[in-house]
Amino acid sequence: MTSLPTPSRPPLRSVLLRSRKHTILGFDPQKLIKYFFGSNASVAIIVLVLIMVFLLREGIDFLPTYQRELQTYRRAGLEFCDIIDQPLQRNQALSSSLRQAVSASLETLSKPARDRRDAAFLLKRRVEDKTLRPRESLTQVLEKTPPEPEQIEVLRRELGAASAAAAKALDYPAFFSTAEREQMQREFSALTPEVTDLPPLLLTLVEEFNAKDREARTQFAELVTAQEEFEEAAEPLQEVLDELKAKALETKEKAVEFEVLETNRQRLLEAAATETDPKEKASLTKEAEESVAEAANLEESTREITSRTGELREQVEKYAVVIEKAAAVLPKDAGTGAARKMVNDVREKIPEHAREMRAAAATLEGWRWDKPVSIFRVIGAFFFGTQWITNSSWQDFYGFVPLLTGSLVIAAIAILIATPVSVVAAIYTNQFASEREKELIKPVIEFIQAIPSVVLGFIGISLVGDLIKDVSEWSWLQWVPGFPIQERLNMFNAGCLLAFMAVPTMFSLSEDALNNVPRAYIDASDALGATKLQTVFRVIVPAGISGILSAILLGLGRVVGETMVVLLVAGNRIAIPDFSAGPGVIFQPAHTLTGIIAQELGEVSRGSSHWQALFMVGIVLFAISLLVNWCARAVARRFEPHKA
Amino acid sequence: MNPVPTNDNPFAGDNSGIQQRETAARWALRVGSYIVVIITLAIMLHIFIKGAPVVFQSKWPFVNTQFLTELPATLHVIEDQQGNHIETDVNGADAVKKKLGDDFRSEKTISYSGGGILGPIVGTALLVIVSVGVALFLGVACAIYLSEYAKHGKFLEMVRLAILNLAGVPSVVFGLFGLGAFVLTAPTFVDVPADRSVFAIPLGFTTLSFEGWDTCVLSGGFTLAFVILPVIITASEQCLQAVPQGFRETSMALGATRWQTIRYSVLPFATPGILTSSILGIARAAGETAPIMFTAALAFKDKLPWQKDLPPLPADASIFAHWEQSVSRFLGIFTESVQALPYHIYTLAAKIPQNEYAERAQYGSVFVFLVLVASLAASSVLLRKRLRAKYRW
Repeated sequence: MTSLPTPSRPPLRSVLLRSRKHTILGFDPQKLIKYFFGSNASVAIIVLVLIMVFLLREGIDFLPTYQRELQTYRRAGLEFCDIIDQPLQRNQALSSSLRQAVSASLETLSKPARDRRDAAFLLKRRVEDKTLRPRESLTQVLEKTPPEPEQIEVLRRELGAASAAAAKALDYPAFFSTAEREQMQREFSALTPEVTDLPPLLLTLVEEFNAKDREARTQFAELVTAQEEFEEAAEPLQEVLDELKAKALETKEKAVEFEVLETNRQRLLEAAATETDPKEKASLTKEAEESVAEAANLEESTREITSRTGELREQVEKYAVVIEKAAAVLPKDAGTGAARKMVNDVREKIPEHAREMRAAAATLEGWRWDKPVSIFRVIGAFFFGTQWITNSSWQDFYGFVPLLTGSLVIAAIAILIATPVSVVAAIYTNQFASEREKELIKPVIEFIQAIPSVVLGFIGISLVGDLIKDVSEWSWLQWVPGFPIQERLNMFNAGCLLAFMAVPTMFSLSEDALNNVPRAYIDASDALGATKLQTVFRVIVPAGISGILSAILLGLGRVVGETMVVLLVAGNRIAIPDFSAGPGVIFQPAHTLTGIIAQELGEVSRGSSHWQALFMVGIVLFAISLLVNWCARAVARRFEPHKA
Repeated sequence: MNPVPTNDNPFAGDNSGIQQRETAARWALRVGSYIVVIITLAIMLHIFIKGAPVVFQSKWPFVNTQFLTELPATLHVIEDQQGNHIETDVNGADAVKKKLGDDFRSEKTISYSGGGILGPIVGTALLVIVSVGVALFLGVACAIYLSEYAKHGKFLEMVRLAILNLAGVPSVVFGLFGLGAFVLTAPTFVDVPADRSVFAIPLGFTTLSFEGWDTCVLSGGFTLAFVILPVIITASEQCLQAVPQGFRETSMALGATRWQTIRYSVLPFATPGILTSSILGIARAAGETAPIMFTAALAFKDKLPWQKDLPPLPADASIFAHWEQSVSRFLGIFTESVQALPYHIYTLAAKIPQNEYAERAQYGSVFVFLVLVASLAASSVLLRKRLRAKYRW
């Protein structure tokens, strides 16, 4: 028996401990791979930081820029004029409601006559529209030289036939008597292009209306004169103010021009300082010296404006006296209830308006052209400013409030609609629905998520807007505040669509929350003899409430940040919605934080104050989204159910 | 409805009221949930009814190929004296007018509404390719770290928090970020840095200048990539987590390194899932408008991105020169600004007056867009279902 040579086996220990590591640049490749993935994981953090950095980089200069602009606004005296001009705006509002009251009163007498006149004109227009083509060809032929009588005759007959047919097909309103209808039909059939006079019946109707109108004006003479007086009262004051405004604007333009030249000069000088070539340096310096602009003498021109303070105050005082007098003679009665209410409203508001004007005039004395604008005022002017005015010839204001209100109102509407719907759907699918129903409901709701927001915005323009408008005109719905609505595109429309968009997010998160309720809770409830409904609403929903609340918050985040729907559908009117309209306010158009960025950023030049203001809005939006996310997490943690 | 139970049990109270309330509440909940379903279906139906006639036709080849293969153009509608309307494009308008002569009556032009929507489709496809490419790379790598490497700690928490917050950032803020970062700042190789360059690193033969890529496919694609990044990360991580732990343990027990484990025991089983989920990312990227408004999209462009006039090569140009030109032509595709479907719809809906011709273009584009996005989403859902049936461990 020959013993086989046992293969020499290296000791196990040394095999295990043998260093098999090959290194790359002194690093373990396994470590390198790990670091590679780790660095990719940090991309999310890096992107968040970068978003902040780039938003701040473009937007942070907004405060100093806006401060400079407001400084110029003050120094050039624009602010001085606005002290009086702003309260004077109320005059317009008051006067327009007076005008409405007057016309409503006049209408009580003249409405039938006016309706008849307008209807007749409308009918004539319809006949003309329908016979447009023969009429045009006839006009062309008539203008031809030499005239072709035969062709004219043919065309004339054609037009006559068309007019007669059109006049016959018309739908005459009931307030025309049979005789009038026949006359009208005759007259419309005889319409020809070369006769521009109105047909006799129309003339009669016009005359009829004028007579009624005169009659109405005599009856409401007091109201009419009071309204006219009120409107004229502001004129002398406005004249003085306009002069001052023109002066201030001129000063401002000079100041701005000087600033531009000055910065340009500074840049040239800087360039000259770093330039090495002596020739270039000389030319740059020369150019800089040439562009020295004369600084606008702000003090002098502002003094010119302030020197007229006395005159201005006098005018304000006069104006206040006149409007108070007008308020005193305003009649107690008007044609209709609504008009009476409006008149009374104006009468109550006039003393307040006069007081306001006097107070404004009193502050004129204390106004100083050289008082610096503090940075806190600038911050206040941005965050609490009620005007967002851009590309204005007077002064640009970047006030945040109108946009924020629009965004918040729309978000509130959307959440109020979406919450019940999605929570109900989540409860139903999770607890009651059969498997087949689940197979239908879940995919459909999840599919909503895939619908791009621009498509929904388009639906809002093309379908929902008209739908809401039509519904608002139904007579049995007139008790709803705000109906019938004026604008097709409004906050309610946008809110509905955003609610639709938010449903899938809120639905799936709520359903997850309900799913996570421990089985033991349900069993316990069943064992106590609770019905299904009791179990659902007393046990499951309260246990899942944290998840549902955080779902609502995340839905809110989605709604506030949505851009395309609000840009297309919200109506884009930059003004604080008129909350005095009550709940009907939701049918007004508005602008939003996201919409304003999308709409205006494409049209402004980089680095301008407008550009920076839009980036500031972006910063605020970013902060809001972080805040909402944080709240959602906090809520989810706060109400966390004790897991069984 | 449930039958009212007979009151055999002497201890049971009268519960008929409860029964009715139960049923009523059940029906209320059911109606509430079906409202959403019905509204969704109604909207789909509306778009289908209005949009399908634009895209389909009753004659062979049943699809309006002109609408799908032409670039958008201004539509000229010419009316003659008899009231007939003739639709034509810019070039056709003069010919038609000449032919009509005295018969010509009026001409209307409707911007963007003529031609087809090939330009926007191509633009959206390019944007999606760039964005999904970038997002898949970053997202899958991030998910592998989160699922395979990360240990509980500060860093992991921060990453998760960042992903959550990133998902909540409004899309228009991404647009601002893309504008600031990619359009105005991103590094690029140029011969002479522009004035706006943040800083420039001279490299000898060229300069690496941080002056941005301008509005182009690349800027828009990168911006969109970060918009969809959270979606991709979350979906990929789920797929990786779904691979049973035993696979990893087995592999490690056989002596494989961690990377080998991931490469051979985890990724092969997770990849199909990752790819299907990323289809959802594609749908999302295709649907976003706000991020590309300032970074890539144009309202109107009469050329496709690759139709660019490059100087003709000399006849004796080397093969290298030809090669170089085709490469630069290819790369040029990504440095062009493009039209995109969502932005095209926005332009059609918001920037031109509404009339029947505009409406046709609008519903046509919306229909095509929705069909694309919906089929992507649906295929993702179906594929996921099939995968789940296939890999059942």
